[in-house]
This record gives sequence, C-alpha cells and structure tokens, in this order.
Amino acid sequence: MPSSINRFSTSITRPCLIQFNRIGRAILVLFLFSCSTIPLTQRETHPGGESAFPPRYSLIFIIHGDGNYRYHDTGGKGHEADAEALKGAIRVAQQNLQAEVFIFHQIPRKHTLLFFPRRDGKFYYYRYGQMLAKESYRRHGSSRFDPEMELYHRFRAGEPTQQMKFFLYFGHEIPELGGEGYDASYPHRMFTVHDLADGLQQITPDSSKFDLIVLSTCFNGTPYTVAALAPYTRILVASPDNLHLSYFNLHPFEQLDVGLRDGDVAGFAKNFARQAFDRLTDDIQTAVTVSVYDMDRVPRYVQSVASVYQHALAALKDQKRGSFEHCDCAEDSAYVLPGMSEGVDVFYRPPRFGRSKHKLTHSGWECLRLLK
Amino acid sequence: MKKRTVFGVLVLMLVLVQAGIAADKEDIQKYFNDTACKVKATTDPIQKREILNKSLQTMSVALARVERSGLIAQEDRAVIDNFKATLQEKQDELSGSNGYERVTDAQLNDFSDYVVQDMEQAGRYISISLIAALLIVIILVLL
Repeated sequence: MPSSINRFSTSITRPCLIQFNRIGRAILVLFLFSCSTIPLTQRETHPGGESAFPPRYSLIFIIHGDGNYRYHDTGGKGHEADAEALKGAIRVAQQNLQAEVFIFHQIPRKHTLLFFPRRDGKFYYYRYGQMLAKESYRRHGSSRFDPEMELYHRFRAGEPTQQMKFFLYFGHEIPELGGEGYDASYPHRMFTVHDLADGLQQITPDSSKFDLIVLSTCFNGTPYTVAALAPYTRILVASPDNLHLSYFNLHPFEQLDVGLRDGDVAGFAKNFARQAFDRLTDDIQTAVTVSVYDMDRVPRYVQSVASVYQHALAALKDQKRGSFEHCDCAEDSAYVLPGMSEGVDVFYRPPRFGRSKHKLTHSGWECLRLLK
Repeated sequence: MKKRTVFGVLVLMLVLVQAGIAADKEDIQKYFNDTACKVKATTDPIQKREILNKSLQTMSVALARVERSGLIAQEDRAVIDNFKATLQEKQDELSGSNGYERVTDAQLNDFSDYVVQDMEQAGRYISISLIAALLIVIILVLL
C-alpha cells in the first residue's frame, strides 16, 4: 500500500482507536460495577442502636413501587404512592424507640447507559429509632422474597418469639391467580398471594405468627387471601374493595408504646382501621372499605366457602382481562352462609357517585364474578 | 464530531422512548387530573359541567378510534370496552340520563375528584398495554 495512503488512513484511524479504547475501558468498568455479584448490595452502615434490652417490637414493611403508583390529591398535586408509603414507614421507624424496623422498597429496574441493570431494591434497617443500615439490593432469587429474607435474617436482633411482630405490605392488588406483570420491570415474573405466604413462612419458620398483618392493597379482603394468610397472623387488616393509592394512614404505628400499652393487638388493629377509614373518607369520593379479620374466628366461614371460591377462580382462569369483576360476597347467595360476619369488623362508606352509591353496607368479604 | 453527534442523538432517542413509554399511562391519569383542576378553577356550574362532559367525550372518542385502528391486541379490547363503559356511565350521571340521578351543581367539584380517583386505585396493575396507552395519548393530542 502506498505510504501516503498508509499515513492518511493512520491519521484517521489512530484518534478513533484512542477514543474507542477510552470508551471501551469506561464501558468495561461500568459493566463490572453493574454486573458484579459480590456483593449484591451497596451498603451504608451506621454506628449506634445499642440497648441493654432487645427490641420489643419488630416491623417489616414491603413497599412495592415497580408499577404505576401515581395519584393526585384534591389540589391536583401528583404523588407517588410508594414514595409516600416509604416516608410513613421511616417516620414509624424513627418514632418507635423500642422497635426494630425493616423497610424494603421495591423499585423499577433502571439501566446505566441503557444496557447495565442497576439495583432495584432499597433496604432500610432501624433499631431503637436509629437507622443502622441502608442498602441497595437486587430483586431476584429462586423465590420472590429471597433477597428481602436474606437481609431480614442478617440484621434482625432479639428473639422473634419474644417480640410483637407486624408485617405491612403496600402495593396493587396481590393476585390470587396468574400474577404475571405485577412487576413492570419483570413482565414475565409472577406474584400471587401464595408467594406472599411463602415469604411470611420464611420470616416465621418456627410457626410463630405475626400479631398483625396489614395489606394496603385493593381487593385482598377475600375468603381466599384470608385463608392463605391465616397460618401466619392473628389479625389481618385489608381492604375488600377498592383502596385509593393514598393507602392506609400509618399514624397509629408511630407510637406503639401508647397504642399497645395494654397489649391489646385486636383493639389496636380496630383503632388503626378506624383512623385509616376516617382519613380516607375525608377526601376520597370512591368507595372506602377497611376490614379487620380475627384469624381465630373467621376460619369456619372461610372453610365453608372455600370450594365455591376455588371453582370461581378456576372458571375465571382462562377468561380475558376485563371479563370479570369484583363484588361484595353478600351479593352472591352462594357465599351468604352462617358465620359470614363472625370475626370481621367492617368500616364501609359507599362511593359518592356511580351505581353503587346506594349500597349502604358491605359484608367485609370480596368475591369475583363474570361480567354479563 | 459528526460521529459524536449521531451517537448522542441515538442515545437521546432511546432514552426518550423509554421515558415516553413509562409516562403514557400516567398521561391518561394526568388528563383527568387536568380536567378536575379546570373544573375547580371556574365558579360557573354551566362551565364546570361543559368541561367535564367534553373531557369524558373526548376520551371516549379517542378510545373508539384506538379500537378501530386495528393496531391493538385482542386482550386490550375487553379492557378498553370496560373503560368506555365506565366513561359512558359517568357522562350519564353527569347529565342524569339512563337511570342516574343528575349530578347537582354543588357536587360538580367532588364529581371531578371522583373521576380522577376512580382511575387511581390500588387494584389497577392489570390495565391496557403500553401500545394501546400510547395510541390513546397520541389521539388525545390530535383531537
């Protein structure tokens, strides 16, 4: 090749090669950071949080944020429901000086430079009101809550059997079948009530129960969900009907020493449900329903309607999206059985508009039916 | 310089497409929220009613056009049909037709909140696909 052409081609390619080398090294470094498996978390730890006594209360918050959680208040201002729930959980953690609090915030998976996946979970650990750890983690494992459970077992203090234990979940309705698409970042991943139950079992492998579980979701006050969670808790608070994305107010949890001074968890749960109901009915025009289920008293009814509900689920399994709807179980005679209201306290206000505005009561149980 | 420019434009397009897809479902919520804000911004009940009716009607037209476009999946049709039906019920209630009590002048602000909040429940993770949402937003812009 003539030397002039050599010199010309070299003068063009050499700066490009240098540039690509620099870019290539930068990409390699970013690749190694984002894909490294050891460690899976980025960690900040803080000193302090010591006491002569183990924490009296243990609270676990799982806040799902990998989806559309946008809502607007009556002033027109937009909010992200998961960010608001996180603020509430952190306030609870800071105010309870006798508690250890685990907060898991499941966020959308983003990418660095469009190709390198970033961590999609944030973990906060508080003990005696102080934040002791803040970590980012990756939300994948052989079962849904493996990463969260690994962090929980690594950080927990005190003997679980001697603590009052609370579990709170914030997110969209947890499906009872199917469950694909619950996580916007993982459209083929499935999440159902049974995955939640499996996670709860990992927290309480010794068969001890939570004192209270709160599901701040829509439509999870059903015989099926209650049956699935009954082995893991004494009391459940859930919304059988729609729940606005502003969720349940956490204020009663900010002072557990006050709210639980006589150890009455059932009374605390009813007070929590009442306050959540009162706050929602102030501004919300859609239906507001909050139910408290005593898991010692509801099994008889739940078992009596189990096969009917299972048949309904099986019938709906192959139906298209939008072909079925939720309804009050009291509107279907198959579910109106003795003991339906036993062990259930219901706080209900109908929607201010729409066809249901004249529906004055709610059974506290939600069912499914095919649309006509 | 030209290579850098081309590379930068490609990256920007990819980022905007990603952000755009994420925002489309929120755009539909924002549409109704903007309606509620306009309703509350006026004291004239006739104007309030007209704003609400026009907003519901425009969204219904957009949904109908998306359905007729032939570009959406079959499973989206049932969801869009339900969406259209709920919008029609709200229009009926606004006007007092089809067995509904007419929304009174004093209730119009609350009714506009009801329309917004009905979209923003913690049970709507199963919704229309991104393609359908994108088409609805595009048609709303064009109408």
